[in-house]
Amino acid sequence: MDRLKQWLKTITLYEIVVGMKATLSHLLNYNPVTLQYPHEKRTLPDNYRGMLALLRYDDGTEKCVGCDLCEAACPSRVIRVVSAEVPGEPTKRYAKEYYMDMTRCLFCGMCVDACPVDALGMTREFEWAVYDKRQLHLNKQQLLAIGDRSFPVREKRLELQHPNTAFFNVAFKHVPQKPV
Amino acid sequence: MTELGLRFILSLTQIAVVVLIVIVTVLILTLAERKVLGWMQDRMGPMEVGPYGILQPFADAIKLFFKEDIVPAGANKFLFTAAPLLALIPAFIGFAVIPWGPDWTVELNGIVYKPFVISDINIGILYILAFASLGAYGIILGGWASNSKYSLLGGLRSAAQVISYELNVGLAIIGVIILAGSLSLVQITNAQSGWFWHWYLFAFPAPQIFAFVVYVISSVAETNRVPFDLPEAESELVAGFFTEYSGLRFAFFYLAEYANMILVSCIAAAMFLGGWNAPYPGTILDLLGFPSLAWIENTMWFAAKTYFFLFLFFWLRATLPRLRYDQLMRFGWKVMLPIALANIVVTSIAVYLFPNS
Repeated sequence: MDRLKQWLKTITLYEIVVGMKATLSHLLNYNPVTLQYPHEKRTLPDNYRGMLALLRYDDGTEKCVGCDLCEAACPSRVIRVVSAEVPGEPTKRYAKEYYMDMTRCLFCGMCVDACPVDALGMTREFEWAVYDKRQLHLNKQQLLAIGDRSFPVREKRLELQHPNTAFFNVAFKHVPQKPV
Repeated sequence: MTELGLRFILSLTQIAVVVLIVIVTVLILTLAERKVLGWMQDRMGPMEVGPYGILQPFADAIKLFFKEDIVPAGANKFLFTAAPLLALIPAFIGFAVIPWGPDWTVELNGIVYKPFVISDINIGILYILAFASLGAYGIILGGWASNSKYSLLGGLRSAAQVISYELNVGLAIIGVIILAGSLSLVQITNAQSGWFWHWYLFAFPAPQIFAFVVYVISSVAETNRVPFDLPEAESELVAGFFTEYSGLRFAFFYLAEYANMILVSCIAAAMFLGGWNAPYPGTILDLLGFPSLAWIENTMWFAAKTYFFLFLFFWLRATLPRLRYDQLMRFGWKVMLPIALANIVVTSIAVYLFPNS
């Protein structure tokens, strides 16, 4: 009996009919999942990790103190920092040159985590297709420019700091603090 | 002399109109296939060119027209050039005997001609089958002349497949030929007039349901469509026999494939579903008092039946995975062929027992 049933199913093309019913039901209940990308864009999640950027304080000075921790944290060796003393202020350092090779970046966000002064940020930009790979080798000016256009609101430079003290993790008071 | 000239002009006009219709249908099909496949897979299909992407076929045509024409190193130049034409011409030439509308005769300056069929030859279906077999040469030679292993494998597969399934197509329609007593598609269609149970799919002494199923499956295989698209299996052979083709030559192969689809759909509609006959006797326009416009209704019925089959092609493509090569061969020779042969025997006996129905 079972074999007869099986045979009947075979000669009536039962399984093909079932499959074709499935595709037809999708045709009739047309509900595409497509997003017409350049015309409509999806809402990014709040913790979206996009293009990296260097940030400034509201008075325009760079946050970066040239400590090289981001370079050490980076798993794919994207970052190269050339650190130097601030001219005239031998106790303070800054990044004289700062390079990011975004062709290698995997957007893990470890550099942002590692930064003691929150000088790095991840923007919500992702449309970075270029015709020449070398355009993705960014220098400090370009990274600062990305930060300037993506973070228009900057936090105040702390006035209570002594020129000799370093300060850690004081920015972004509105987000939960990292565990110390 | 003037009579000959007029005849010549009339034939050329008919041919031009039919070729135009076929090319326009191909343009529609390229878009319809992508759209239907997209809709069945919860996508949208092409949406960029024109409103809802309806100008996509023209964009494709322009792109293919201006693409670089590459002949691979080591290719046999003559056959490489000839193969697309060898595939294209047999696909288009079959439309000469397809009846698009009612079997009327029009007299013009003493010349009698049939407006809805280019030439009503008495071996119409045989002629189509003969040229459809020739179409395989285009594919095989194209595969061989490309000097590429993928093309060669695609061509060889196509040779075996087309031979196996041509046979089933030929045997499946023999039942209809026995019932109609004619090889002319015009006469076969005429014999199916009246209610829809006169169509050979349901006709009285021997309904050709099995032959119809065999024909549809075999014609899918013969046109190298999914699930029998082994000659151009993308996942195995890049693009099969036209891997090395580009530009206009590629467009010719593409055109041939779609023209073949239209041709087998037209034959299926004409042989099994009554061609241009409506499912009811006569036409509504005739009853309403426009007998001279009745051909519109008949042509629309023919188009509807043909498009149903074309939709079936897309539907199958959206549903089924590709067969393995041994499954394809086993299915063709061990399943389709016995059914088609048994159908011939049963039909012959039925026609012998009920000779007058």
